[in-house]
Amino acid sequence: MKPLVLLGRSPELELTGLGTQRQCWRLQSPHSIPASDRDAALIAHHHDWELARANGYQLAIGRDARPDGISLSYIRLPGGFAALGDGDVVGVYPQSGRVRVLYRRSSRHNFFLVTERCNNYCLMCSQPPRKVDDGWLIEEIAEALALVDPATPALTFTGGEPLTEWRRFVGLLELTRDLLPDTAVHVLTNGRAFAAAEVAKAWAAVGHPKLSAGIPIYAAVDHMHDYVVQAKGAFDQTVLGVLRLKDHGQRVEIRVVLHALTAARLPETCSWIARNLPFVDHVALMGMEHTGFAIANDDLLWIDPLDYQQQLKAGIEVLATAGINVSVYNLPLCVLDPSVRPFAVQSISDWKNAYVPECDGCSARGDCAGFFSTGRPKFSRGIAAI
Amino acid sequence: MTMNSTQASPPDIVVDFSASTQSLGALREAAYRVIGQAACHIDEADGRYVCRLSPSQPRLHGEELRSHFLNLVTDENLREKVSGETDRLRDVIVALAFGSLAQEQ
Amino acid sequence: MAGFASPDAFCPETSALQLLPIRFERLDADRFLVGNMVGDLAEMTAAELDRLCTLDIAPGDGLYERAFEKLFIGAVDERAQQQLLALRLRSRLSFLRAATPLHLFVVTLRCEHTCPYCQVSRQSKDRVRYDMDQATASKAIDIALCAPAPLIKIEFQGGEPLLNFDLIRWIVVTAKQRAVRRGKQLQFVIATNLALLTDEVLDFCAEHDVLFSTSLDGPRDLHNRNRPRRGQNSYELAVAGIARIKERLGADRVGALMTTTEASLGRVEEIVDEYLRQGLDGIFLRPLSPYGFAMTTKQFHKYCGQDWLRFWKQGLRYILDINKSGRRFPEFYSTLMLRRMLSDEPIGYVDLRSPAGIGLGALVYNYDGTVYASDEARMLAEMGDRSFALGNVDEHSYRDLVLSDTLVSAVADSLTQTAPQCSSCVFEPHCGADPVYHHATQNDVLGIKPLSEFCLRQKGVLTHLFELLEHSPEDAAILRSWAS
Repeated sequence: MKPLVLLGRSPELELTGLGTQRQCWRLQSPHSIPASDRDAALIAHHHDWELARANGYQLAIGRDARPDGISLSYIRLPGGFAALGDGDVVGVYPQSGRVRVLYRRSSRHNFFLVTERCNNYCLMCSQPPRKVDDGWLIEEIAEALALVDPATPALTFTGGEPLTEWRRFVGLLELTRDLLPDTAVHVLTNGRAFAAAEVAKAWAAVGHPKLSAGIPIYAAVDHMHDYVVQAKGAFDQTVLGVLRLKDHGQRVEIRVVLHALTAARLPETCSWIARNLPFVDHVALMGMEHTGFAIANDDLLWIDPLDYQQQLKAGIEVLATAGINVSVYNLPLCVLDPSVRPFAVQSISDWKNAYVPECDGCSARGDCAGFFSTGRPKFSRGIAAI
Repeated sequence: MTMNSTQASPPDIVVDFSASTQSLGALREAAYRVIGQAACHIDEADGRYVCRLSPSQPRLHGEELRSHFLNLVTDENLREKVSGETDRLRDVIVALAFGSLAQEQ
Repeated sequence: MAGFASPDAFCPETSALQLLPIRFERLDADRFLVGNMVGDLAEMTAAELDRLCTLDIAPGDGLYERAFEKLFIGAVDERAQQQLLALRLRSRLSFLRAATPLHLFVVTLRCEHTCPYCQVSRQSKDRVRYDMDQATASKAIDIALCAPAPLIKIEFQGGEPLLNFDLIRWIVVTAKQRAVRRGKQLQFVIATNLALLTDEVLDFCAEHDVLFSTSLDGPRDLHNRNRPRRGQNSYELAVAGIARIKERLGADRVGALMTTTEASLGRVEEIVDEYLRQGLDGIFLRPLSPYGFAMTTKQFHKYCGQDWLRFWKQGLRYILDINKSGRRFPEFYSTLMLRRMLSDEPIGYVDLRSPAGIGLGALVYNYDGTVYASDEARMLAEMGDRSFALGNVDEHSYRDLVLSDTLVSAVADSLTQTAPQCSSCVFEPHCGADPVYHHATQNDVLGIKPLSEFCLRQKGVLTHLFELLEHSPEDAAILRSWAS
């Protein structure tokens, strides 16, 4: 089981007249005329070449070698690249010859990586932070947003820590609000930036109709949370950040990744959320993705989900009876206690979602999140068809 | 020695404390709390506080009343210490709470 | 990739820790209930409490974690703990903003029952003397609609209110008209023994969404013994009335309350069975009312407190077992206490608040135009003690009444937040002031709490509920479901 390939080096890149800077392109069927000067023709059949030329496309994108005699600029997708379709957006980097999928219109899980920088360093981070000067990513996203279908129901901004350059990020939120007014925007952030009044205020001032922040809290105890995120003072700042956001009437989701360090006191953590943060809009209790730092810290973090079902059940009961929306993400239904299953959501992004042989013939497969295909998957001993 | 007679009232219990280590305030609080079981009269003599407990209930007297009262004093001493250390914070928190209430008006 | 720091790197030093405001109560020789300013509770041994108070705790020892989760401690340079406490304290007191949601209209003092414990009825046909008139009702409506609360609940009381049903009809219609102009929402309840329920009454109540609250003290013999009337058929009429209301208006339109008397104390399971039999959706195991008893005998610290606690605990046990077998049937007193314990949301129960709910929570307009701070205040007046009469509808406005010296001093003097014992009580966040009760039983609105049956009862109930929540997971799940 392997995740979809969304980044690779093009074996054939010919961009005469289109410049050597990084550029965003939206794919369109050659049957329609380009809607903008950032639209490229998606070549699926041999006769698409003539259509593309006739309809005035500057650039074509396809999987096979460009036939002789074609004068259109061309990007050949790397072998094994994910299937692309009408409306998808790619980023092209001529200097390195790389192509990256930025947006897939048919996917339910589009996310934009805002930066790889982060002021936390979570033991299980699936996107390990790097100290790089990647401020250009925000510009690329701004260009891509102009090409995203306004009918897209939802987008996620993630990282690293998206609020690392918070002023520019707030600008990006304003752009999203204006270009895609009907698209719900979820931002995965450690929330620490909101401890500062001006950041929370700027976020609220965007006035986005459907904006929410997904903020992890791993324990109701300062040193435990700080240890998981490897930053002293993080718990204090994160909680203050949540309170400030809520003072401004903003939507907040609390996320708890379930592993050996968070599972032991999960009932207490959930009780604490129910008593102290009852106004949060959602709580997501999430199975751990075994990739990135999680592999390096496996001995500290790995626990078979079967072994924390009692804690999970107790935590959910407290949250649910307190009237708080709670969901379980990223865990297959078979390892969940039956009373927990109704809270499970099919949550693993389609590009990294897979099943195993035991899933054949399972009656609940259609509703099940399945497994992460990223990293080095570790499986519970409890996996079995229902 | 047991009291099995309902005719004679049980004798008073006397407990004393060093005035240099036991605060009078805590003793008064304990006396207040024991009112349902005994009347408590506090005197000072020779650097000691002398508490005379007159049981008002037949059920609690003698050693039981003494140890009950000592527990109350222990608890009040702890409350006094906690109060000394945390009253300032309590006021800060109350001010924060009402400050925001006022802001909303 | 840089390395990862060990847990030690994230532990505050002991010198950086501070104790946050806590209270505690000794349960027995080595057990304490410890709580914070907003009512989070934890059980500890004497040794643990000592270690907590001297900050002889360290990350990883279990006690540190429990204490931090319950907001008993924080680090000196941290702010989140204090902000959480402040925010929650604000929520717990937010009922102050929606002042006086409840207004009782005593439309007549006449009654056809002769209940021995009732202080507020007259066997009389003298309508002029004992009925409220329209002029009085009209002024009372105007006062009620001045209250800041956005939702005003009008409850008709008596005597037996249905003896003056014409006035009830007029009040409902008139109040609705006037409420529209003020942007207020209204809710109506008639507190009636149902003996005089007619189709005409039912039709009107169906049309105007009026709810019913009745008395059902238990099985027939108990109920009729408590509530004599000519024909000795109070029970039959109440039960028939409940059935008629359920059929005509729906099961959610009628609630029943029990009056607990000494005769009830040994029969809680029968009483619960009676409520189940009548298809009611829960039961409120009410405390004994001290007023008649206290006023006549001047004995306020009797065995009753412990006996009632036994009654209530036994009833709760029986009810929990019924819930376990699949039927949802809450005990409403527990439910109110649980809502206080498990959340910071105001619960609309005016009888258990500090500042006290008298006047600020409810006002009572008597048939003769006198305005009282609560129904108990009215009862006291009928027995000769007018200490809690705030004024009257002819001379006073809403502001006059709630800002009257009588009310302000009663509320201020009975504040639990500053009272001896209360101010350091672990249960104070879940409790309230009852100035009328303490005045009636001890002649002092604050009362000496060690002598107060109210205090004994509250401590008993809250301790018992805490122990169930903490040590009986199955019961705890049911209790939490009631409170949600």
